[in-house]
Amino acid sequence: MSGTESIAFDTPRRERSADNFAMWVFIGSEAMLFGAIFLVFLVAHIDFGPAFAAASKHLSLPLGTFNTAVLITSSFTMALAHRLALQRRWRATVWALAATSALGTCFLVVKGIEYGKEIDEGLAPLLGLPFRYAGPDPTHAEFFFGLYFTMTSLHALHLIGGIVVIAGMVALWRSANPANRLRRVVAVGLYWHFVDIIWVFMFPVLYLINR
Amino acid sequence: MSELRKLTFGYLGLLALLALTVGSSLFDLGGFNVALNLAIAAAKAVLIAMLFMHLTGMLPRLAVAAAGLWLIILFGLTLIGR
Repeated sequence: MSGTESIAFDTPRRERSADNFAMWVFIGSEAMLFGAIFLVFLVAHIDFGPAFAAASKHLSLPLGTFNTAVLITSSFTMALAHRLALQRRWRATVWALAATSALGTCFLVVKGIEYGKEIDEGLAPLLGLPFRYAGPDPTHAEFFFGLYFTMTSLHALHLIGGIVVIAGMVALWRSANPANRLRRVVAVGLYWHFVDIIWVFMFPVLYLINR
Repeated sequence: MSELRKLTFGYLGLLALLALTVGSSLFDLGGFNVALNLAIAAAKAVLIAMLFMHLTGMLPRLAVAAAGLWLIILFGLTLIGR
């Protein structure tokens, strides 16, 4: 066995570096997607600053802060998984991966609770739900909540994708040789940290603007 | 410093930055609040990229630089055109 997964590479080192580069290019393309949405938010915030600031106060800062801490912790456990995989401590690696996806799931549950609260308060202008807003400038507040649900649900979809990939990786764990295990942990780790970075920007932009 | 300690310090640093960004929002610093929040977010992103994602080597940096360049064009042209 040559030690490479694909026959396209003559050495494992080349395959690793190609894997890594491909993941970073993918992350760059994802940055374009999120960048465009952040740009829409920025332009809207420049135009309707006071309405956005007032609307942002209706989000739950404690839940948002808690969720940020949860996601940062999940990135830490993912970094640990990478570390443990490098040391070939496979059982511990699987535990670190399980902790990562459990923390990701915890984030989604808290996000769901937040969504529920916002829907109850009539702040969710989606799926034909009634939008009830007592503050000033309800039209642009509705725009804020539209962007809030778009951005956070797109982020949540990415997180769900990450959790599914981790689950698949663990399911195929036994049949994978050590080099492939390490390579997969590195790849999904890069993706996971990127999704964390997106939230790191989304949190202050949505929750903290002119609070 | 061992790798594990580096990761742990990075993690604690990220939590400290989170506390700082939430804490700063309790005070009214005028227009400075937004700038501070974004600066802290950028610092967190750099910490995650360097410590957790091991952003080293020519090719990964090239991909990040290309993404950064296109984002600058996207934001720059949009904001100039207004």
